[in-house]
Amino acid sequence: MVGLRRILHGYAFAIAGIAIGVAGLVALGAMSERIVRFIEGGDRFVLGQISVAGRGMGMGAGFTAGGLLPAATIRKIAAVQGVAGVQPQIMLPLNPSTSQFMTLTQELVLGLDLSVPMPNRHYRELPVRAGRFLRAGDRYRAVVGAAFAASRGLRVGSRLPLEGVEYEVVGILERMLTAPDRFVIVPIEDAREQWVAKDRLLRTLLASGAVALTAADLNTGAAVGWRDAEDPDTVARRLVAEVSDVNVQIPSELSRLLRSSTAFFSALLGGIGALALVIGGLSLANTMAAAVFERIRDFGVKRALGATDLDLAGEVLGEALVVTVCGGVAGLGLAVLLGVSVDAWAGRSGQQLFHFSTRLVAGALAFSILLGAAAAAWATFRVVRLSPAEAIRRGA
Amino acid sequence: MLRATGLVKSYRAPSGGAVRVLRGVDLAVKGGELVAVVGQSGSGKSTLLSVLGLLEDADAGEISYEDVCVSALTRSAKSRARGRWVGFVFQSFLLLPSLTALENVLLAARYAGRDRAEARRRALELLEELGVLDRKDHYPQALSGGEQQRVAFCRAVLNDPPLLLADEPTGDLDDANGAVIFDALRSRARAGGAVVVVSHRPEAASGATAVYRLRGGVLEA
Repeated sequence: MVGLRRILHGYAFAIAGIAIGVAGLVALGAMSERIVRFIEGGDRFVLGQISVAGRGMGMGAGFTAGGLLPAATIRKIAAVQGVAGVQPQIMLPLNPSTSQFMTLTQELVLGLDLSVPMPNRHYRELPVRAGRFLRAGDRYRAVVGAAFAASRGLRVGSRLPLEGVEYEVVGILERMLTAPDRFVIVPIEDAREQWVAKDRLLRTLLASGAVALTAADLNTGAAVGWRDAEDPDTVARRLVAEVSDVNVQIPSELSRLLRSSTAFFSALLGGIGALALVIGGLSLANTMAAAVFERIRDFGVKRALGATDLDLAGEVLGEALVVTVCGGVAGLGLAVLLGVSVDAWAGRSGQQLFHFSTRLVAGALAFSILLGAAAAAWATFRVVRLSPAEAIRRGA
Repeated sequence: MLRATGLVKSYRAPSGGAVRVLRGVDLAVKGGELVAVVGQSGSGKSTLLSVLGLLEDADAGEISYEDVCVSALTRSAKSRARGRWVGFVFQSFLLLPSLTALENVLLAARYAGRDRAEARRRALELLEELGVLDRKDHYPQALSGGEQQRVAFCRAVLNDPPLLLADEPTGDLDDANGAVIFDALRSRARAGGAVVVVSHRPEAASGATAVYRLRGGVLEA
């Protein structure tokens, strides 16, 4: 305990220097992890289902953007070989006036046909943090994403006005760090009412009686599941071939598209991460080596007292371990404090900028310990090469 | 106890040329002897002591402790030889600033593999003998120069080394503290230890069994 206190005291500046380097590294890494989780979450979602929309444009949003997907077409989709389930859906921009802006965090209304199980293989159900998910028969009830709830101060039981109708919030999703964080999920019947209320063209069309549409025809898309042992891309191509007037998203192509659309961010964050590694690493290594060189006279004295190279190497590496662990933990704490503070501020608008994943925390600690130990070992090697007399002279 | 023959040591000058500091030094010191090496500043006294204590290698010559040729040992073996045979007292004390007075003294026992409790008991005895027991928990920066040198002396003799090498041990001390350190060195010799003191101060020769002057890289009686 006394030894630890002495090391902390003797290496206070080194620990502070390492902490700052690690904090920078972890903070940048946490921002990168946040985006990576967003991209991975989206990828996981699109690879878990075949998304189908009606052929056309101007209706719906998100992965159901396209044209109208009537009930008859949904029945045709369900009849295609290899299809295991079809869930009619409606996806609408919450605020149509801002829906055209390019954004990764669009607020969307998702209407689900609750009489059909979710066909997405990776999301059989969305994880609920508080309250419950929607059930068949619910009306004017909503489950909201974590970021959406945070930005509006919503809790279970809160009232949420949508197109002039009050909805009861019955559930709040866990924070998924991907698109559903900003979703409002409602029964499809309610989503249809909202769609009609939002879309004057649709209202005009329905009022004209020019087309024979029932409520069941008002879908912007559908999530399609496939049977076990079926290849999803093959099933999707079968849909393209056998069902007319649909936009079918091939899962692997959509995944590639998603990745290419986020490639800029990935490259940017990769660059920032590499820069953080280099700057943080150099800072850490330099601090640790300088801390060893500062004690060159002490090493000379110890060798005069009989310490061998091995004794000194063991001492320095042991101390380096303590120093880098302390600096690393302090840096992590600093980064988490920074991240939590910034996220508390950003959370008021539903944003989360940092994600301190286990792999990031473990990686940063391992990185700082290994690099610190390597720097200390290198510096020790340089120091023990000197004669004790030279070490004492240089340290004087 | 100590036998050195034909010690030669040169340093490389900034100009690139060699500066020959020791030009064939022979010295023998038995247990119970206190040998004073005097000479002007820059004459090579400290270099001689460093070479005798294996703190740096001679370019030529041989050093033996108790008939063991230590100058030919490996680096690690030389370290162990220093820990076993030699105690050092330096002009600038060279106490570790992060350790208390007692911990500085006990540092000598760490590398000798001594029993901690026994070493601690002996360290406290020595600190009491030198009159600095009440400062045992103080850090060097809180001690006067005289107190620091007394602590350094305790460290040098903790393992009861047969050879004690003192490099200008009173150089940074006032007369009173200098007298305390010289008394301690003489006591060490009287107790059977071999002591070599290098100093430019004439009082270093007082009580010495032999006095040599280092001039031109050789020892003169």
